[in-house]
Amino acid sequence: MAFIPSRSKRHTTDSGDVKLNLNSMMDMFTIILLFLLKVYSTGGQMVQPSDYLTLPKSTVEKVPEVALDLSISKEWVVLNDKPVVKISDLLSSNNIVIPKLQQQLLMYANEAEKMQERYGKPFSGMVSIQGDKSIPYKVLVKVMATCGKSKYPNMRLYVYQKSS
Amino acid sequence: MAFKPSKRSRRPQEDADPNLTPIMNLMVVLIPLLLSSAQFIKLGMIEINLPPASAGTVTQAEMPKEVDKKLNLTVTITDKGFYLASSMAVALGEKGEGPTIPKMADGAYNFGELNTLLTKIKKKATGVFKDSDQIIIVAEPEIEYQTVVSTMDAARTFEQENQTEPLFPSVALSATVM
Repeated sequence: MAFIPSRSKRHTTDSGDVKLNLNSMMDMFTIILLFLLKVYSTGGQMVQPSDYLTLPKSTVEKVPEVALDLSISKEWVVLNDKPVVKISDLLSSNNIVIPKLQQQLLMYANEAEKMQERYGKPFSGMVSIQGDKSIPYKVLVKVMATCGKSKYPNMRLYVYQKSS
Repeated sequence: MAFKPSKRSRRPQEDADPNLTPIMNLMVVLIPLLLSSAQFIKLGMIEINLPPASAGTVTQAEMPKEVDKKLNLTVTITDKGFYLASSMAVALGEKGEGPTIPKMADGAYNFGELNTLLTKIKKKATGVFKDSDQIIIVAEPEIEYQTVVSTMDAARTFEQENQTEPLFPSVALSATVM
């Protein structure tokens, strides 16, 4: 049998102000906020890992520095967000130095040297290499050799840190 | 002269509710902001410093400037396992041939064993050789980047009495015959 509300009570409402109890939500938010503040690094993430490649994992603890960005994906060698050489072209050539990449690198090195002359910003010869974890050694060596021959002898291999 | 509060104006105390709306506003803004900029994956970096371009050699840690007793410790990564060699000797496998440290039964590289062996070498080499913190890594052309990085990890540090000591932190990569 259905419950039939009495006719007289049907249109009565409670007194105007209904209070929402926010306490538990506040607790939750406070905890989330504290957690995120703890995770958040004050320096911010200066180095953005590329989206289209998976870096290898390593146990190093050095924090990345910002440098000329060179990434090696499965298909392209990308310098400062501009594709330079196809990996297949790179593999088919017997030359250990990659001419196209060397040309680009020397251009950046010249710019940086000009900056050093004019504004005193020292040219470190530093290049950051983000390589996909599955690229073969010969590709890595060719790219690194080219960097070494193009005024960028200080290489930084970026890796994901293994959580210990 | 202080006034005495009147007794008549006392009303029953109401529940004082703080107004949480501004705090809620703040939270709603802050949490997405922090979430979007939070760094959940930590990046690291391996330093490899070469001397600026030198003709002939391609990627080598140091050109021999003076004749010193050099260790020239070299780890070669092949698809069968690791080969270890130095200027003094070539470390042989258990059977007298084959890789120094063969792959494990499941086909994975035995990085633990490599680390143990390198630790032994490090202890003997410290103080005797000038380049007792350097290692040269050579790999076959088809070896994956991840394997090379893991080998560098195995060669970087070792544990001694719960302390992490540097092993061969200065890594040089060498090109093999392509």
